[in-house]
Amino acid sequence: MPSLTTDPASRRVTGARAALIWGVIATVLVTVASVGVFLFAPEDADQGVIQRIFYFHVAIALVSLVAFAVACVAGILYLRTRKVRWDDVSVTAVRIGLLFSVLVIITGSIWAKASWGTWWVWADPRLVTYLIVVLIYAAYFVLRSSVDDDRRLRYSAIYAVAGFVSVPLSFYSVRIAQSFVHPVVFTRGGANMPGSMLIWFLISLAAMLALFIALLEVELVGRRTERALRALTLRLESS
Amino acid sequence: MSTTVNRPRWTRQLAGLIRKDLRLELRTKETVMAMVLFAIVTLTIMQFGFGTRDDDLTRFTGGLMWVTLAFTAVLGVGRSYVAEREQRVLDGILVSPVPRVVLLAAKAIAIVIYMAITELVVIPLVGIFFVKGPYWDSIGWIALVALIANVCIALSGTLFSGLALFTRARDLILPVLFLPALVPVVIAGAGATHAVVGGAHDMSEYRGYCLFLVGYAILFLLVCIATYDAVFDD
Repeated sequence: MPSLTTDPASRRVTGARAALIWGVIATVLVTVASVGVFLFAPEDADQGVIQRIFYFHVAIALVSLVAFAVACVAGILYLRTRKVRWDDVSVTAVRIGLLFSVLVIITGSIWAKASWGTWWVWADPRLVTYLIVVLIYAAYFVLRSSVDDDRRLRYSAIYAVAGFVSVPLSFYSVRIAQSFVHPVVFTRGGANMPGSMLIWFLISLAAMLALFIALLEVELVGRRTERALRALTLRLESS
Repeated sequence: MSTTVNRPRWTRQLAGLIRKDLRLELRTKETVMAMVLFAIVTLTIMQFGFGTRDDDLTRFTGGLMWVTLAFTAVLGVGRSYVAEREQRVLDGILVSPVPRVVLLAAKAIAIVIYMAITELVVIPLVGIFFVKGPYWDSIGWIALVALIANVCIALSGTLFSGLALFTRARDLILPVLFLPALVPVVIAGAGATHAVVGGAHDMSEYRGYCLFLVGYAILFLLVCIATYDAVFDD
């Protein structure tokens, strides 16, 4: 019978401590951001209380793009090294990015209903772009589930790269084709909001970024644990 | 004793692969014929879908044309690897010393040709079916944007059809992968067409859309070159 204490598969899964630390940081930051946004951030004179959704809507949107960029880079690294850990990072980043993109659409729709009286506005380039982004990355999982073994990892990595290239193309094509109704907060001249709003936005952004990293770490630990458990089971069965 | 292997130049390899695809198509006439018929049927359905037959659909011309061409492209791109898959031609190509990027270029050029033949029918038909106003003086501009869009369609289509080739339910997978990536091409193609149809001659808008399509083609060309080796890395 193999000794479980000396089996590499039975050792503590790496990254568990980092997941715990990021989980704590994310919890603290999300709590601080929620309290600050609803209690301390100044109310928008034009839109009222609904404008507070901006702090989360825009932060989630930016972090979802970060997630897709991480997936793309991890995909490139997988294609270069063929190490499974980069596939783990890529697929997890796409999963979280997709979840955040759906949240962008939901929060955007709520904001659109309050501001323009309708749940969906085709003239809003960013909302429409995120719909396309969701369609692009939902297809990632359709592709992933329809191939096996080495091809699954390779094709997923290639699609993560191609998908990330499609994001700015979709955004730009939607933007040049329509007149804008979306409020433009960040321009080349800087942030178009007072400092008291900007500070809470930056805290919300940090909170969402920490949440993304925490979710990424937790999912990666889960995948490593699953793989280690599978290896251990195989060892026990073969002995 | 040493043997010297004379590997053909990449231009000869490319010409050979394109010739193979076109000869096969000339013999069977399966893909292009199906694409043209599919496009005509789609345009006809669009007409009925829009309501009464007397409506002036000039302002929807760009959308009608490019939605039809996008769906037709899915059909054509889906057929592009059929011979390779069914008759195991791909195995022969992959063991021969042909760089993957040459295979990509050959497939993309074949798709551009298939799309161009389809558009020879679709572009005039759209004018006849939907436009009540000036159209024929703009047909050169429409053909130009179609040519640029064909390159975009061919590059992204070749990559996605390569990915879909070995998947389960590949006929369903390809549209799911390919159509979202085609949305920018449809937007730009429809926008450019709209800019020059029905008496409108907004050339700065038209130029903007064309430049966008050129950018799309360059980006996807880079992605294809960077990743196409990995598609057939078995």
